[in-house]
Amino acid sequence: MARTVFIAGSGLFCARGDSPSTVRDALWAGECTAASRQLGERRFPYFPLPLAETDWLRRAEQAIRHVGGQLGNLPMDTPLFVASSSFQIGHFEQQGAPFAMPVGSASFTRQIADWLELRGPRYSFSNACVSGFSAIDAASTLIAAGLIDEALVLGVELANASTLAGFAAMELLSPNGCHPFDARRNGLVLGEAVAAVRLTAQPGPWQIVGQRNGLDGYSTTGPDPAGNPIARVMTDCLHAAGLTPADIDLVKVQAAGSPGTDLAEARALHQVFGPAMPPLLSLKPALGHTLGASGIAELAALLACIEAGQVPATAQFAEPDAEIGLAPTAHRQAADVRCTLLNLIGFGGGLASLIVARDR
Amino acid sequence: MIHLDAAFSQQFTPAELPAAVRAALGKPLRRAAVLTQLALLGAFAALPAERRSLPTALLWQSTSGPRLETLTLLAEIGGGGGEPMPYDFLATQPALAAAQIQPFLPGLQAASHVPLDNAKDANWGLLLSLAMAWLNEGRYSQVLCAQLDHRSDLGSGHWLLLSRAPGTASLARLAMAASEPSGLPDIPELPARIAHWLASPGPSRRQLESPAGRGQTVEFARL
Repeated sequence: MARTVFIAGSGLFCARGDSPSTVRDALWAGECTAASRQLGERRFPYFPLPLAETDWLRRAEQAIRHVGGQLGNLPMDTPLFVASSSFQIGHFEQQGAPFAMPVGSASFTRQIADWLELRGPRYSFSNACVSGFSAIDAASTLIAAGLIDEALVLGVELANASTLAGFAAMELLSPNGCHPFDARRNGLVLGEAVAAVRLTAQPGPWQIVGQRNGLDGYSTTGPDPAGNPIARVMTDCLHAAGLTPADIDLVKVQAAGSPGTDLAEARALHQVFGPAMPPLLSLKPALGHTLGASGIAELAALLACIEAGQVPATAQFAEPDAEIGLAPTAHRQAADVRCTLLNLIGFGGGLASLIVARDR
Repeated sequence: MIHLDAAFSQQFTPAELPAAVRAALGKPLRRAAVLTQLALLGAFAALPAERRSLPTALLWQSTSGPRLETLTLLAEIGGGGGEPMPYDFLATQPALAAAQIQPFLPGLQAASHVPLDNAKDANWGLLLSLAMAWLNEGRYSQVLCAQLDHRSDLGSGHWLLLSRAPGTASLARLAMAASEPSGLPDIPELPARIAHWLASPGPSRRQLESPAGRGQTVEFARL
């Protein structure tokens, strides 16, 4: 059995808004202001959730219940797939030593299921920045195989010092902003998000037509500069979908503003699409890099935009880089996007591409 | 038809682990966290050299995750103002394991880490269902499924290797089947249970208990 997998709904809470439609409107308006976080003597731009609550766990509960509420009534036995790179480490930081970490490393998923009042099976995925697509791939595979009928796939990445300090120590963070594919790019800007998609075997407007994950062992902190593994994953994903590059109306690129990773992705895009490059959109200058939640957050935001016939401009892109040789969407435009490819390139070598299409 | 080609468990004390890695690789695996070293040792034990270039996926679950490394990181950053040593941060990132072992397993094309949310249950049902689906659709030739855990006094790896093509090493067949009562519990040590069943006289088929299968579950059948 190989059933088609549809996206029945989505929920989103991030720095740009508290629902897919508010995020869509903010993206259309070009909003991209960031706050900042202090780390020792350094200060980094940051995209926090607009929540006043300061207790980490209560804040997480508010955000997760809010996103769950956007998805309508879910049967209690709906399988839950959670994607995160940091789970509740911010809670442990706030509690302080001795750190009361439960035995199960994904114990936070049990808490999320309780908040969402789900009593079905729970699965967790922690593959750095590609966690969201890992979770979608697993849920889609089980639905396609006829083993489950629907799934809630939720990505969560909330503020914590460990990730910020770790990325700072690796010198991966920009001191002044996210500039994807731009000659001025100098690092990532982190952000918070909770996002979810409801996947189902019941027909709906959007379907997942291809998904492939990959691995780039070139280095633990950056991809093969030639972009070959990234190109391979995109090509495999197109083959899995039975599509050619010409069928893609829009690519949501990873393009987080990282000097090396942006260049590798650009080279991969040149390999796959050649001179017939589709429009490219990066959402990270507006949402921040929300790590384990980024795949689901960006999918939810993107679907909201293209359902409204809108492709927003890529914020913070101004100076083309000759070595990259690509320019993301510089101006917002009305467009009928029917088939879109989304890329994720993860810290630690994870790669993922996903293609969604409508009315096939 | 999906085949089970390996079912085994490994345990290493902290003193044994580096020596085992050196014995497997002929050199140390530098700057590799314990879970990465366990992943390498299990993959090498499951895959003879001639199979290490075949298209492979690694699905691994963990109860502990990088717990000890995370506690170290938390202590290091203290009140949130400090920056950790880069390696101490990298050691908390389980996704790095696959990238670090890929140079020794050139066929490794994808990996996913599935952390567990309690000490009692495992997600072998998920890992095996995904592996079987991906093998059936031709994504990979073989899928390594593992449970890797790391305590201060012991590292453990429990492994199942699934493949699409039957080989001389095949131990059992796998298929999805209507679930029946009294299946094998979905616990971390499942591979040892499977190995024991295969080595002993007994029923020709065993099923895995599944919480999610719409009445379907993974069934192992003797060859």
